[in-house]
Amino acid sequence: MDATFINAMKDAAGVPFYPVVFQGLYVLTWALHAAFVLLALGSMGLSIYGSTRQKSDPYWKILTPHLIMTGKISISVLIVLGVAPLLFTQVIYDSGWYVANTLSGAWVFIFIYALIIGYTMYYWYQYANKKGSSSNTLIGIVSFAILVFCGVLMHNFAVEAISPTQWMDWYAPNGVVDNSGWNIHIDLIRLGFMVSLMIPVTGIFMQNYSRFLSTRQDFEPKYLEFVKNLGTKMAVIGLIISAALFAVWMLKENLLLHPLSLATVASVVILLMLAISNKNSYLTTGVLVIVALLISGVRELIRYNIMSGIGYDLYGYHMNLEWETIAMFLLTFVVLGFTGIAFILTMAWKVGKTEGVYTATEGSAVSRLANTSLAIFVLWIVVYFGWGMVALFKNTL
Amino acid sequence: MDLLGFYPLFYVPHFGSAWLMGLTGAIHIMASHTSVGAALLFAFLAYKAQKENRTDLYDYMKRYGMFLLIFSYVIGSITGPGIWYTATAASPRGISALIHNFVWVWATEWVFFVYEVLGVFALIYFIDKIDRKTHLKLTYTFAIASVGTLALIIGIISFMMWPGTEAYYTTGSASDAFFGINTFPHMFLRIGFMIMMSGIIGMIISSAMRKENKELSEELTQKMGWVSLLGGFVTVFFFMWYVNTLPLNAHTLLGMQKDAIVMNRIILAILFSIYFSIAIIKPQWVTRTLAITMMLVIGIVGVWPGEKLRETMRKPWVAGQYVYSDQIIGRDVPGKGIKEETSRLAEKGLLKLDPWIPDRLRTITPENKLEVGKLLTRIACSNCHSLEKDGLYRPLMPLAGPMGEEGIKDYMKNVIGTGSIPYMPKISLPDEEYDAMAAYIASQAK
Ligand code: HEM
Repeated sequence: MDATFINAMKDAAGVPFYPVVFQGLYVLTWALHAAFVLLALGSMGLSIYGSTRQKSDPYWKILTPHLIMTGKISISVLIVLGVAPLLFTQVIYDSGWYVANTLSGAWVFIFIYALIIGYTMYYWYQYANKKGSSSNTLIGIVSFAILVFCGVLMHNFAVEAISPTQWMDWYAPNGVVDNSGWNIHIDLIRLGFMVSLMIPVTGIFMQNYSRFLSTRQDFEPKYLEFVKNLGTKMAVIGLIISAALFAVWMLKENLLLHPLSLATVASVVILLMLAISNKNSYLTTGVLVIVALLISGVRELIRYNIMSGIGYDLYGYHMNLEWETIAMFLLTFVVLGFTGIAFILTMAWKVGKTEGVYTATEGSAVSRLANTSLAIFVLWIVVYFGWGMVALFKNTL
Repeated sequence: MDLLGFYPLFYVPHFGSAWLMGLTGAIHIMASHTSVGAALLFAFLAYKAQKENRTDLYDYMKRYGMFLLIFSYVIGSITGPGIWYTATAASPRGISALIHNFVWVWATEWVFFVYEVLGVFALIYFIDKIDRKTHLKLTYTFAIASVGTLALIIGIISFMMWPGTEAYYTTGSASDAFFGINTFPHMFLRIGFMIMMSGIIGMIISSAMRKENKELSEELTQKMGWVSLLGGFVTVFFFMWYVNTLPLNAHTLLGMQKDAIVMNRIILAILFSIYFSIAIIKPQWVTRTLAITMMLVIGIVGVWPGEKLRETMRKPWVAGQYVYSDQIIGRDVPGKGIKEETSRLAEKGLLKLDPWIPDRLRTITPENKLEVGKLLTRIACSNCHSLEKDGLYRPLMPLAGPMGEEGIKDYMKNVIGTGSIPYMPKISLPDEEYDAMAAYIASQAK
């Protein structure tokens, strides 16, 4: 398949900003999506083990519901974070994304309903666990399996999107068109690597958990020690497994010696050492974020190489600059987004650190952030309506 | 090579891929509208609770919140991307057009989504963990964030119907595309519906509290009755304004079904006015079963036909009145440098210009004529018609079959090919492609 073809599929409306900016945003937001995918699957998987231990073990009795709750919130967060890379990928790699979706149209539909069922069952799992029902583990396993299956489907779309030379064979094997949308294609090593990361991510999360709660009187130090050690063990073993899979994957992609994958390997080694010593798990988390960004970068590198290799001219995408809406996005993202999220996270931090009710006194960070957020939100709405009316008057009068 | 940017075709026999979208869309509308409505309701309840020191209202908010988590933040937040995904499979170029015009608007909406998702957990789980005042501020920002998501998506879904003014075509600007004359009526129509939904769901929760606290349960059912009544009134009021801001093709289609629609709306309005009045006058009559039934009624009899109608009225376009439902670009948009594709197709044909035609089918032979006809018919017609005789989605065969092969060809060439039917895309193709399609359709309609 040649380049004319893939370049002809670029959207006629062009892109509204420099492609490289979308590429950067894609790498950034996919890393965020992935972090919560891994935390969700990891904490959920571990909670299932915990659900079999909690009857006899008092530590697991405390930890299991906390893991379940972590998984529950993480799934919501991973879904909302997934929206951003979903958006950016189809701006600059529209051909790949739309071909994948049409070739696997039936799976697209199944993905949505599987996710609804899997996540609803997760709430049921939490409920059953709270009630001490004996079927809780089973419900948890089914829910977990469904959510992992959703991940497999996501992976399928990603693989198809970067296999342009095979599209025609998949769509019309032997020249006979198949419109049914039942294509599915898996790259086991890539998938295995991605999923294996759930172990170290959850391990580092547990180190943080233990550190965060160590200031609370109502948590026994011995319990926190137990969680911390478990976390360290998971982080170390998990990182070794993931690193091995990463090396095989890179070997297969012929990228092992590429600076980006070398940088990834180096950061993983640093991460491993930090996790073993576990002096400051918040710092470890910082390095984990860098590793996540690097992995996201490697994914993009693979895609970019494949697409430009067959003649796709990404940076030459026809551009129609859009100043008004990009200004809206940047201002909203930076001003409203950062303040608002800072408000909620600071509040959550304080609540987590407090036994009983947390009161935000006048002038405290939480109170100031609350007031500022509220003011920004109100201002935002005012600007929105003002802008809309100006645009309408301009175009109708 | 001279090619147009088409995509592979995803075809769902009997139902049509649009049906998959409709299902996901109807579920999403129920869940997302409830979510925004509930956010407004929470702000109101939290305000009352704080001002009048009504701790029992927090209890209600907590229960409502748990319901909301599953209904709106599981089902709603999955079906949101869900519509998008299924629309992608069904109409890739339609979605692509929206994305490439509005990516920054969507990205802005995403910021609000992130705030909402984190906010809803904080709102519910921190009810008795933070002081009331901070909680109240949180509910206010949460309410505005929720309305913000509506404010941002509304211009995009209005654009799917039409840009609302001519300005967009010359400037190509997202702002002109977003704020059309039907953006605001559409927005307030939905806000009304959201308020109504929050009341309808609120009654499910309040009626379920009867056992523990009869008095509170009835008081809240009554309040929810008022809330729903207000929402319903706003909906009906703005619906009338909204209808007047629709483009001409929509009115043609609306006209064809007008009596049935008006009848359906009148019956619904009467039915729900009675229901809300009962909630206000005799709250004890509203049981949980009744409340749940009424929610399903509004979904199945109100939302589903409403969405189907909006979908139908958009025809023959799927985006901005420049992308046809069969994925062909049907008009120039000079502001973006977009060129219409129908004249090139008329000259060279789909078999030459669609990159996804297998080479062995690019030239029609007596052996492959029916196979080519089938593929072309799927590409050109299946976005709006089932091709099975007993299909459920405006089945084509019973419509075209009676014309006979020559009649079908004639109709395609002289009616559809000239764009004479306001709700069907202009599909002008070379003669031999019409031949193949007519042969296929006639063979199937037998
Ligand atoms: C339980 C649910 C989900 C799981 C387990 C999951 C997991 C994954 C995994 C493993 C990948 C990487 C695939 C690869 O590179 O091989 C991925 C990519 C991605 N996911 Fe998810 N995901 C889930 C839900 C979602 C949702 C709901 C969205 C959208 C709102 C989403 C958006 C994306 C996007 C855009 C990509 C990148 C695709 C590409 O670049 O080609 N995911 N996801």
